[in-house]
Amino acid sequence: MKNISIYRPTTVDEAIQILSRHGTDAGVYAGGTDLLVRLKNRLKQAPTYLVDIKKIDNLRYIKEDAQGGVQIGTATKLSELAESDLLQKKYPMLIEAINLISSPELRNVSTLGGDLLQEVWCQYLRGGYSCWRNGGYLCYGAIGDNSYYHSAMGGRLCYAVYPGDAATALIPFDARVKLATPSGVKELSVEQLVPGDMMVDGRIQSHVVRFNEILTEVVIPPPQPGLRASFEKLRPRGVWDFAMASMAMSLQLRGKTIDDARVVFGGISGKPLRETAVENFLKGKTLSADLGDQAVSVALANAAPLKYNSTKIDMAKGLLASGLAKMNATA
Amino acid sequence: MHLIEAVLLEPVGCLAEFPAEPFQEIAARFFGRNKKASRSGSRAYWHMLNLMDTAGQPIDAAAEALELEAVDQASAYDDVLPALTELKAMGIQLLLASSLSSVAITHFVTKCGLAELLSAVWTRDNAGGIKAAPLRSAIGGASLDPEQVMFLTDTAEGLKVAKSVGVNSILMMNDPDEARRLSMHEPSGGIVSLHELPDFIRLVAAENAQGAATHDLRLPR
Repeated sequence: MKNISIYRPTTVDEAIQILSRHGTDAGVYAGGTDLLVRLKNRLKQAPTYLVDIKKIDNLRYIKEDAQGGVQIGTATKLSELAESDLLQKKYPMLIEAINLISSPELRNVSTLGGDLLQEVWCQYLRGGYSCWRNGGYLCYGAIGDNSYYHSAMGGRLCYAVYPGDAATALIPFDARVKLATPSGVKELSVEQLVPGDMMVDGRIQSHVVRFNEILTEVVIPPPQPGLRASFEKLRPRGVWDFAMASMAMSLQLRGKTIDDARVVFGGISGKPLRETAVENFLKGKTLSADLGDQAVSVALANAAPLKYNSTKIDMAKGLLASGLAKMNATA
Repeated sequence: MHLIEAVLLEPVGCLAEFPAEPFQEIAARFFGRNKKASRSGSRAYWHMLNLMDTAGQPIDAAAEALELEAVDQASAYDDVLPALTELKAMGIQLLLASSLSSVAITHFVTKCGLAELLSAVWTRDNAGGIKAAPLRSAIGGASLDPEQVMFLTDTAEGLKVAKSVGVNSILMMNDPDEARRLSMHEPSGGIVSLHELPDFIRLVAAENAQGAATHDLRLPR
């Protein structure tokens, strides 16, 4: 592993100054469950200067805001989210999703910000192949074993899937994020934060955060009466793994009538994939036993599986059907 | 990789799916080779070029007729026109550099509607040779630095030729299994589809420009 230097700023402003000074050679270090692995894997894109934000006090909290929504500091550990009574009360689906992220040990270290901004877990990248995200110009996942961690919805140079579950689960709540930047605070929706293969500061990444910006807060709007949500995830290993396919859904219900819907698929694309065709189909429909089959028929029409991963599409559609069945059974 | 200024395009396997049979027929009829049951038009084409290279003599009109037949049967990839249009709008020079005859290439360019997009067309006739010759003529004719040029190919022979000329060899990963084998030849890069080429060139440009601003890969579409 290369020699690294660690800074321990105590304020966000100080952290931004350090990041600005070192450019893309620096990276934000919080839980480290992604960053330190990238260093150990000797990836070319792993930073030399780590800016440890754990000493910054005001990044670790879960609190209710004046409107009844919830604000979460991005250095908050996943285990702290999973144990939050406030989140359990307002967004139980989010707790369900968090508990399906990696293992209890890793959730005790990983942070919400780290989960949102983590690097892809393509085995070729992590194995040190010279791919698009590691100083090269070729996607080995597109031509190699792409059964698990590669897109079945097409790609753009890199075909790895976005691996995070938290973003997939937050989008159905219309969650937003705040970024601290050298020119002030920037606000985005979670969907805008992780739009998939992006060219940022001359490199490919899944999110839009620049080298001198820090993700500071996630804000979830207050749930409206009648909001129901569900999260489903299929993994290669049931104990802990990234999603082969996952599906997060929220339905705004009036009785059994769907007034509004959000459907987001994870694990099948380079981004959490909001499936607006299904959302539009569901609006105005009544929850019923056969609604799942109907919704599946309009889902993922643009699927473009690679050689070994067409099963991901079947899995995603199955999750949609089971999610709707679950909603129907409990509505 | 250096900033890219031009792309060399070999129609066979890069712009269109060509049938293998006409090239195999040339190999059999004019060079006495047994026909191989290869489904790859590109491999059959480069095999034919190797035979021509070894024989050291041009093929006759009957062989050219078979090349025309190959062009007739070729089907251009769907993303060719949009990708080349975008590349041209980016200021990238598009140079057709092929070892096919001028007659066959003229037919191909007309058939696919590429004339407006190409800065120059080099064939074995006006380049005076095959394999590396059209590439060298294209680079020389446009006064380009080979390091600022890409050559797209989907065969091992094409990769070798690109390396011999000093241009960036870009593997067209049309068939994943074949592409995996060819990746062992260490191409400069690889793309799954031609529609990725504009982003490839933008990424190289961003790498060459220190501190490039955030740029959405999908923005131009």
